[in-house]
Amino acid sequence: MQRALLSCALIGFTNGFLGTFIILRRQALLADALSHSLLPGLAIAAILVGLSPGGLLLGGLIAAMLVALGGQFVARNSRLKDETAVAALYIIAFAIGIVLIRFSRVKVDLTHFLFGNILGVGNADLWIAYGAAFLTLTVLVLFQRPLLLILFDAAVARASGIRVAWLETGLLALTVLGLVASLQAVGVLLSLGLLILPAATAYLLTDSFTRMLWSGAVLGFLSSIGGLFLSFYANIPSGPCIVLLMALFLGAAYLFSPRYGVLFLILHSRHFHEESLQRWEGHEGHKHQTSKTLEQNDESN
Amino acid sequence: MITLPNSESMLRIMDLTVSYNRVPAIHHLSLELFPGHCVGVFGPNGAGKSTLLKSVAGLLQPETGRIFIEGRELAGAAPLIAYLPQREAVDWDFPVTVEGLVEMGRYHHVGLFGSFSKRDRQAVRAALELFNLTPLAHRQIKALSGGQQQRAFLARAWAQEADLYILDEPFTGLDRTSATALASALHTLKDRGKLILVSHHNLAEAGELFDTAILLNGELIACGATSEALSHTNLECAYGTAVYSGKGHLFHH
Repeated sequence: MQRALLSCALIGFTNGFLGTFIILRRQALLADALSHSLLPGLAIAAILVGLSPGGLLLGGLIAAMLVALGGQFVARNSRLKDETAVAALYIIAFAIGIVLIRFSRVKVDLTHFLFGNILGVGNADLWIAYGAAFLTLTVLVLFQRPLLLILFDAAVARASGIRVAWLETGLLALTVLGLVASLQAVGVLLSLGLLILPAATAYLLTDSFTRMLWSGAVLGFLSSIGGLFLSFYANIPSGPCIVLLMALFLGAAYLFSPRYGVLFLILHSRHFHEESLQRWEGHEGHKHQTSKTLEQNDESN
Repeated sequence: MITLPNSESMLRIMDLTVSYNRVPAIHHLSLELFPGHCVGVFGPNGAGKSTLLKSVAGLLQPETGRIFIEGRELAGAAPLIAYLPQREAVDWDFPVTVEGLVEMGRYHHVGLFGSFSKRDRQAVRAALELFNLTPLAHRQIKALSGGQQQRAFLARAWAQEADLYILDEPFTGLDRTSATALASALHTLKDRGKLILVSHHNLAEAGELFDTAILLNGELIACGATSEALSHTNLECAYGTAVYSGKGHLFHH
């Protein structure tokens, strides 16, 4: 249980931090595709080396990177657009994974891969969690400035001499690492939650990039630990517990965020009234009028 | 444009051709521009206005030709150039305040790991001050009017200490008040010795806004003092025919 808690807290924090980059890069669905494409890698690792965490990590990494880069390759060399290419590859990979798992030397419970089995966390898993957390946080904090420029405007960042392709590939690799590291806790199907939900919650709460990073991390940390306790005492699988707790935070932010919550927007929808009125009476209003008169002319013709 | 052989040109383009999938959008374009000018880029839709601006900003890879900024090859001159994207190209929901945006302009001075020095802070403050953004410094960038948003990007460029400002259709969708404010901001930059390159579609305002004009239609038709560059004959060349191919022999598709 202690090991499970520690690994959960580390991964929750790290993936919550990483999530900001994925959300602002608008790659939430790519991350989902990657999480599914881990499965054949895990299956092949299970066939070759059994259930050693190192093997699973490597297998998952390779499989997901192949799908991500393969998607780019197919998109560049055919008429298929990149989201179609990645979607096609990941669902194929997922199917292959399910087939391959039957050939594993050791008996593997598919549900453990799909939904996680946090109490099965061993020492090696814990080391992977340490490593992933350390690597991810170091890289992201060190390269925060160039990454921010890329997230805000990749084309301009490229023109100003930042190695966009390198950093983007690095971000992709960290995403896969984050997904693999969260497998024990939440499994392939729910690993996306740890990446996306805390950061999405933070996005609804703050206007500062740095604050979004750290509050995403703290939210991920809190809900991972909370979810784990909940799962322990209510005897529900840990994955859904953690994800649902995160969902609760997201729901609360969606409704009650002081700046971007739905309730606030309904209550204060006149906030920019004066400004928009000014704009309306200026250029926009003028344009609107002329287009209206044009329509009238059309009708009379 | 009068080219003085020995004076320092800010922007020098030699034989520039830029293509999309092997179809040239601008071809064999050469020109030279000097500091302290506000230059309008004109031409019909598809004339290559955006292409020209993006190439100078380093966003597009030229097929032939070279671009020099203050005598330096484009690749090494990135910090001197500030490109203001078209409005639709910006994610206005991005979690950044006006101040944060202006700070981005200092990143290449500060480097990867350095922290903001007194000088950097001062540069940010001065940029906010210059474009009347100080009271708005802590607003998220969506909570600004169109004109304020443009000025926020100009302030970022100022903090970056750019010498060449490139603006793609900045006046589109601005109300009259904002347009006037933007025009005076561009004037300030010009007075401080910057070179400003602006694509624009309204020929009627050309004279008031720009001292120099570039007229394009795939090729360079004219580049010089606004009234001369936008002469009746030149405009005929640019807008009167689908493709312009050298002076004197026009052809239709």
